[in-house]
Amino acid sequence: MIGLAGQISLAQGALMGVGAYATVYLAEALHISILVAIPIAALFTAFVGVFLGLPSFRLKGYYLAMASIAAQMILEYMFSVIDPDQYTSVPENLKAFGVMQLSMFPMQYYVVLAYAILATLLAVNLGRSAIGRALKAVGDNDVAAEIVGINVVKVKAIAFGISGFYAGLAGGLYAFTVSGIDWTAFTLDTSIEYLAMVLIGGPGRIIWGSLLGAILIRTGWSLLETNLSDMLAALGMSVLASAPKYVVLGSIVIAFLVLEPEGLIGILRRVKEYFRLWPYSY
Amino acid sequence: MDTLYLIANTAFQALVMGFIYAALALGYNIVYRVSKAVNLAEPEIVVFTAYVVFVLSAYYHVPIPAAFTLSLALGFGVGVALERLLARPLRGRPVAALMAATLGAYYVLRGMSMVVSRGFEMGSLGLPETYYSIGPVRASLSDFIAICVSLSVIVGIVLMHRYTRLGIAMRAVSEDAFGASAYGLPVTVLTMLSWGIAGVVSAAAAFALAAKAQVSPMLDFYAIKALAASLLAGLDSIAGVVVGGLVLGFMEQFGSLALDPILPGLGNQLAFIVMLVVLLFKPYGLFGTERIERV
Repeated sequence: MIGLAGQISLAQGALMGVGAYATVYLAEALHISILVAIPIAALFTAFVGVFLGLPSFRLKGYYLAMASIAAQMILEYMFSVIDPDQYTSVPENLKAFGVMQLSMFPMQYYVVLAYAILATLLAVNLGRSAIGRALKAVGDNDVAAEIVGINVVKVKAIAFGISGFYAGLAGGLYAFTVSGIDWTAFTLDTSIEYLAMVLIGGPGRIIWGSLLGAILIRTGWSLLETNLSDMLAALGMSVLASAPKYVVLGSIVIAFLVLEPEGLIGILRRVKEYFRLWPYSY
Repeated sequence: MDTLYLIANTAFQALVMGFIYAALALGYNIVYRVSKAVNLAEPEIVVFTAYVVFVLSAYYHVPIPAAFTLSLALGFGVGVALERLLARPLRGRPVAALMAATLGAYYVLRGMSMVVSRGFEMGSLGLPETYYSIGPVRASLSDFIAICVSLSVIVGIVLMHRYTRLGIAMRAVSEDAFGASAYGLPVTVLTMLSWGIAGVVSAAAAFALAAKAQVSPMLDFYAIKALAASLLAGLDSIAGVVVGGLVLGFMEQFGSLALDPILPGLGNQLAFIVMLVVLLFKPYGLFGTERIERV
C-alpha cells in the first residue's frame, strides 16, 4: 500500500483485528470452516478499509496518516467493547476442512504458508496489471494521474480495499493459529511495527521488500527478546525488558529512512549490480 | 442546584483540559509550519519529559520548579536533535518519509522513557492538594497550575510570533523558506530553533498534563487526542489552537457526561471522531491556509 499508492496507513493493526474478529464470528454463526471464513472476512475488511479511506479521496499523504490514526483508535475502542475480557476463543472444531483437522502443528503451518504464498503471488502480479499501473500513477502524482484519464477516486478506493483485504487476511490467519483472540495484539504499536517492516524491507514497488523486512524483524525480534531479556533479568532489571526493543526498532527505522531509503531491497540490488559488473566498477 | 454544580464543574474541567490540549496542539503546529510534517514523536516527548520531572522530584528530591525547568531544557534538546537527525537529512524527500521517521523517534523515545522511569512506574507529581471554591466550582491547585503553564506558553508563543524579530523570521521561514533564505535569513538555524521551541512547548504541556493527571505511559493518549485540536485549528495556525483546544475540551467533557452512561469510555473517543469529521469536511481546519498544488 505504501509502495503503490504512496500513502502511509497506521490502521493496519486495527484492520487486522477486524479480520480476526470477523473470521471467528462468521465461522461460528454459519458453522463453516475457518478456512472458508477467512477470505469472506478479508473481503469484509476490505470494505471497512474503503470506508476508512474516505477522507483520503480529498487529501494526500500525511492527512491520511492522521485519519488512519483516528480510525485505529476508534476501532481499538470498539474491540474493547465487544471483547472486554481480551479473550475471544476460537473454537477448535472449526479449524477443520472436511474431515481433516488442521489445528495441529504441521498442518497449521502448511495452511498459513499456502495462504501467504497465494497472497504474495497475487500482490506481485498486481503491480503489472492495469490497476497496479494506475495505482503507481496515482502514487507518483495524483493530479497528473487524473489528467491522463485515471479515475483517482476509484483507484484510491481500490488501494484501500486491497490493503484492507490483506490486513483482513492476516487477521484471519492470526485467528486460525491462536486459541483465543486478544485485541491488545491489534494496537497502534502493531500498526507501527508493520510500517517499520515495510520501511526496512524497502518501501518500493516490490512486494519482496516487505516480505524480507517482515522476516528480518520477526526473527531479529525473537533473538533480541530471548537474549536481552535474559541479560536484563540477570542484572535485576527485567522491568526494562521491552525498552531495548523500542529503541532498537526505532533507530533502525530512522537509519533506513535517512541513509537507505530504498531499504534492504536497495542494498541487495547494489550488491547484485556489483557482482554483475565485477571486476570493473562500472 | 445540583445540575448547576455539575455543569459549572464540568465546564471548568473542560477549560483546564482545553488549554492543555491547546498547548499540546501548539507543539504540532510549530513543527508543521516549518517542516510541513506532523511530528508523530510528540506524544512520546510528552511522556518522556513528564517522567523526567516525576523521577527527579520523586526519587532525587529535586524541587519541582527546578525539575520543570530542566525538563523544558530537555524538551528543547530533544526537539533540536529530532531536527538535526531526522528533518534535515530528509529535507526534499516526501513528507511521508519524515513522518515515518518521527514514528521511529516515537519508538526510541518510548524506550528511553521506559528506562528513565524504571519500567513505567506510575505516580502523581505530589503537588499539594489544596482545594478552592469559587462560586459553585471546586478547583484544585493542580488545575490552576495546569491552566497557568499552558496558557502562558501559548500566550508567550503567540506574542513572540507577532512582535519579536525571531518570531517574524520564523513566520517568514514558514511562509516561504526559499524566499526567506534569499533575504539572508538563516533558514536552517530557524528550522532547528522551531523544532526546539516545539519541544519546549511539549515539555510544558507535559508538565501541565502531569499536574492534572497521573504520570503514566498513557499520557501519550492525550497528546494523540490533541492532534484533533491541531487539525481543527488548522495545522499551520498558531493562535487558532486555543479555539481548537477549547472546542475539543468542552466537547470531550460534556460528551463524556452525556455518553458515558450509555457506553463507558465513549467520551474519550470523541476526539478521534472529531478528527475524522474535520478531515472529511474541512481538512485545512478553521484557521489554516488552504494549499493549492500545481503539477
